[in-house]
Amino acid sequence: MKKSSFVLGLGLALMLTGLVTWGYQIARGLIVTNMRNPFSWGLYISTFAFFVGIAAGGLIVSSSVYLFNLERLKPFTRIASLSAFASTLGATAMILPDMGRVDRIFNLVLHPNFRSPLVWDVIVITCYMLLTFLSVYFQLLPDWKRDGRGFFRGWTNNLSLAQVQAISGRWSKRVSIVGLPFAILIHTVTALIFATQASRGWWNTAILPPDFIAMAVASGTALVLLISVLAVGKERFAEYQGAFKGMARIVAGALVVHFFLVAVDLLIHWWWGKPEGLNILSLVFGRYGLVYAVELVLPAFTMLCFFSQKGSSSFKSLILGSSLLFIGVFAHRMMLMFPSFNEFPLSIALPGLGIENWPYPIATGELKEGMPVFVSSWAYTPTLVEYAIALLPFGLVLTVVSLALRLYNFLPHKGNNSLRGKSGISYSNDTASV
Amino acid sequence: MRLGMVIDLTRCIGCRSCMVACKAHNSQPPGTWWNRVFTPGASFHQSAVGKDGEFQMNFLPVSCQMCDNPPCQKVCPVGATYTDERGVVLVDYERCIGCRYCLAACPYGVRQFNWEDPRKAKEQAGYMKGYDYGYPEDYRDQGRLVYTPDRPRGVAEKCTFCVQYTKNGESPACVRACPSKARIFGDLDDPKSEVSRLIRERQTFRLKEELGTEPKVFYLAPAKPVR
Repeated sequence: MKKSSFVLGLGLALMLTGLVTWGYQIARGLIVTNMRNPFSWGLYISTFAFFVGIAAGGLIVSSSVYLFNLERLKPFTRIASLSAFASTLGATAMILPDMGRVDRIFNLVLHPNFRSPLVWDVIVITCYMLLTFLSVYFQLLPDWKRDGRGFFRGWTNNLSLAQVQAISGRWSKRVSIVGLPFAILIHTVTALIFATQASRGWWNTAILPPDFIAMAVASGTALVLLISVLAVGKERFAEYQGAFKGMARIVAGALVVHFFLVAVDLLIHWWWGKPEGLNILSLVFGRYGLVYAVELVLPAFTMLCFFSQKGSSSFKSLILGSSLLFIGVFAHRMMLMFPSFNEFPLSIALPGLGIENWPYPIATGELKEGMPVFVSSWAYTPTLVEYAIALLPFGLVLTVVSLALRLYNFLPHKGNNSLRGKSGISYSNDTASV
Repeated sequence: MRLGMVIDLTRCIGCRSCMVACKAHNSQPPGTWWNRVFTPGASFHQSAVGKDGEFQMNFLPVSCQMCDNPPCQKVCPVGATYTDERGVVLVDYERCIGCRYCLAACPYGVRQFNWEDPRKAKEQAGYMKGYDYGYPEDYRDQGRLVYTPDRPRGVAEKCTFCVQYTKNGESPACVRACPSKARIFGDLDDPKSEVSRLIRERQTFRLKEELGTEPKVFYLAPAKPVR
């Protein structure tokens, strides 16, 4: 109980910090960020993409239970759905401070432009949020019926517990089967926001959507794994070792696909030898080499660790591997921005003068003493304000997850081998295990 | 009617008068430039580029290319960016939600964002007290606010081909302010217009043609002697 109070407190504190700082940003404008005209998306969009990525796990884990009969994952479908719902909330919360005119957000409903991938993303993420919520709802319904608490349960008053359990089982399955395509779609569409832009060489590749899916399967499953391992605790770890190992292998397998796609992508950027392509690679491996090393090395370590017998079956290594993967995935999201915005699309070639890739300068949008207005690159690093606002989704996810874990039962019951469960009702209403 | 522009790079002297005229007429806040003129290849504008005693100096003005296939318009989630009946790509300052997708999508770097309140930015700049600039009245295209001297904070903006003037049949400020008549403005649909004639008779190029954005700004290649 103590630990969960601490997590809840931390979540609320982070959320408050984010909200207060957002208030400051609203008062001053996006000038308080380090984004400028040449580098117009930064930490906020990266963090948004990060949360979209980890939101996948929920429905991927619960759908695999039904689609591929991975029964041993069943005890964790509730927590998986919860993590997906919370991450989707986090992603949505992150996108709001990025908007220059959040007060006009209703224009997305009043005047949607269906050609814009951003509108596609709004649609699929809204659907996904709804589905993950329903997934959590239907799985908790029998508990709520039994305990006489919870919300939206008036309609179950005239039903027997057995009937509610049957409805819960049936609808959990339906939601997770409908949800799976949406889980795939949120990554496809989020990737398409970038991949459709022929002006940006680093984004404009059909590899981006499948790679986003691979990364999402890896990091989403890792999130479910991490929460489950921490929630089950060391004492009961052995009981669910099989499930944990299964999830670790899913993570490792998805990372193999990810690294394959990355390798092919890099090769294609390099092979033709186009000046723009080579410049992107020099940004990736040179100027931003350190961030890129984090993106490559940490997930590679996780992959090897989770493939190994020892790494996929020890309490500590599962936590370490998942955590390192998150850092790597975050670096991947930042690396969407760095090389892309620093290879200006309007580059000029002057063949007779040996100049092949001269970036046409862009006005920053700010007049500041000692700073040039026109720049040929922009060394973006987030400001303190941006870091503080980016805490908002982290706080929200921690708050929602810890609050839900405290109020309702998301965990397999002590001593109850849930492998026998058939419809997600093999949980006890005992909340003390949190 | 499809409004377009031809820029004769042989005539351009790199004086940046068009930048200043554009900025002043369109009330652009400090740090925001709808129109730029640079010396390609040079670290400093108006400095020669070359080696081994062979130098050259050409200038390239770049503002909104008024694409027929505009990525900025296609990505705009709320349709704030649209093309009017004369083929001019405009931004509705009252609809823009400030997502900046258009800044990422534009291959020409012409889109500018109001990171801070433009009124305040002007007041904080070094202008003498009481000095102001910019066409003073709002201009609405079928009810949509496409020009206002002080743009709302948090919206994107860019060249409008001086919509407040060209809707009345006048030329954009950059065209009128060019001392060497390097800019020619007119209707690309009218075969008799000067722009149409130049595009037909002379060798022109467009920026980033390979992206298929189909700009309506055409360039006549510079034909200056190598000095």
